[in-house]
Amino acid sequence: MLNVLLVDDDSEFSDVVCHIVEFLGHNINTAANLAEAEQWFENNTFDHVFLDFMLPDGSGLHLLEHLKKIGQSPRVTLISGHPSVKGKLAEMCEANVGHLVKPLQREDIERVLNPKKANTKKKSAPSIKRHFGTLIGESDVMHKLYTMIERVAATSANVMLMGESGAGKEVVAQAIHNATACDGPLVATNCGAFSKELIGSELFGHEKGAFTGAVARKEGVFEQAAGGTLFLDEVTEMPIDMQPNLLRVLENKRVTRVGGTKEQAVNCRVISATNRTLDDLAQNNVIREDIYFRLAVFPIDIPALRERKEDIPLLANAFLEQLNEENGTDFKWQASQLKELESHDWPGNVRELRHAIHRAFIMSDPKGSAITLPESLESPFSRVNKETQTSQVMAGQTIEEVEKELIHATLDKVQGNKTIAAQMLGISTKTLYNRLNAYGGIGEYK
Amino acid sequence: MNNHESLRQLVHDARAPLNRISMNAELVKLVLENDMPKEKALAALDKIIANCQQCSEQLQQISDTHTSD
Repeated sequence: MLNVLLVDDDSEFSDVVCHIVEFLGHNINTAANLAEAEQWFENNTFDHVFLDFMLPDGSGLHLLEHLKKIGQSPRVTLISGHPSVKGKLAEMCEANVGHLVKPLQREDIERVLNPKKANTKKKSAPSIKRHFGTLIGESDVMHKLYTMIERVAATSANVMLMGESGAGKEVVAQAIHNATACDGPLVATNCGAFSKELIGSELFGHEKGAFTGAVARKEGVFEQAAGGTLFLDEVTEMPIDMQPNLLRVLENKRVTRVGGTKEQAVNCRVISATNRTLDDLAQNNVIREDIYFRLAVFPIDIPALRERKEDIPLLANAFLEQLNEENGTDFKWQASQLKELESHDWPGNVRELRHAIHRAFIMSDPKGSAITLPESLESPFSRVNKETQTSQVMAGQTIEEVEKELIHATLDKVQGNKTIAAQMLGISTKTLYNRLNAYGGIGEYK
Repeated sequence: MNNHESLRQLVHDARAPLNRISMNAELVKLVLENDMPKEKALAALDKIIANCQQCSEQLQQISDTHTSD
């Protein structure tokens, strides 16, 4: 049952529509003008509004603006008398606004009230809270992260984000930017993608004619991010001999365009990101120590998805909702599927989860509402990681045990194909059979 | 131009009774299909007749306005 509001100054028409809508099993209230309609919205919410285009105290569009202002988003059906208005309305109206042309028929009303099911779900969408407008998750580790974001947002300190690939470094950068009271934009750039020759021009800009091909003046990312945030992704992939340039900007807070003479002040926060661990940074000499301390005034560790498995259902719901919204579908998770997602390790983190859901979404029957998960959630990368994790040999194991484990792991990898497994193991197929028999039969590898 | 505007307005006004007629006819259908009290249907039919009358008058007005020019 829906709560419907009819806004029309034709009382006789309103009466009949009330009868019909009530007969269709919905609640209906009426307003004869904009003022009355706005009054209804003061203390009530409606699922659907039938809105006359021309009202005594203004156009129906004014009510749409008012609804936006007060943050309500019922489905709206504009009713107009001119068929010509329909086209114009279609152009300017958003997804949740439909239109009908007088004279109306019952089927029209039924039709616009029925696809409503999708809309009630849309209303439940905000139940998934996006912290700082971007981050999803209510686990303890995420709440710690939110506290850190809040603290650092109040300062102008440079932040270094560390986390595995796919953990959401750019999303956290966006969150910090959103939480900061600044006027400038967030400018994101990937340091790993710069060519050695152009890195200076990318970061600091260049003057016209500074080098061959510099046909116009160009602003560097530091300038573009003036008053805002500069996000340097994969900062540790920047060639180490280019890093002193960066150090100078970070220290002096001034940039000079390539080929230019005038220095310009820089006033943006720099958020850098790396998927390397602290040990890795220290051992592999990928970042100069002086730069590290400039960039990582406030280092933040972003937890891997497997450290916050309780957030997986929330994320899965949020991603599916988004896909439903984009494609006008109505897929839902089953509790068992959410459990399955939760039990997986997601070495590719949120990015991998998101891609797995997208893949499942594409595979699912668009006519139904059940989503079909693939038989195996593993990606090529997760398999590699798992192998390196599980193939650890422990002291105290017998050679026979290790050999058995190795043979089984190899057979698993090649789906039980003994010829290929034997080749990989460097033994004859006959030896492989002998070993399997010695372990108590070929068993599952028949 | 002005003439054209007034014609549009008159046509717009004439659509209002048509709209009521359409919805009242739908109501009559509902009543008949669902064995509801026939008084409801009769009241709706009366409204249809009255609105036909009104629509006819409005069409006459359009005709008068635009033939007298």
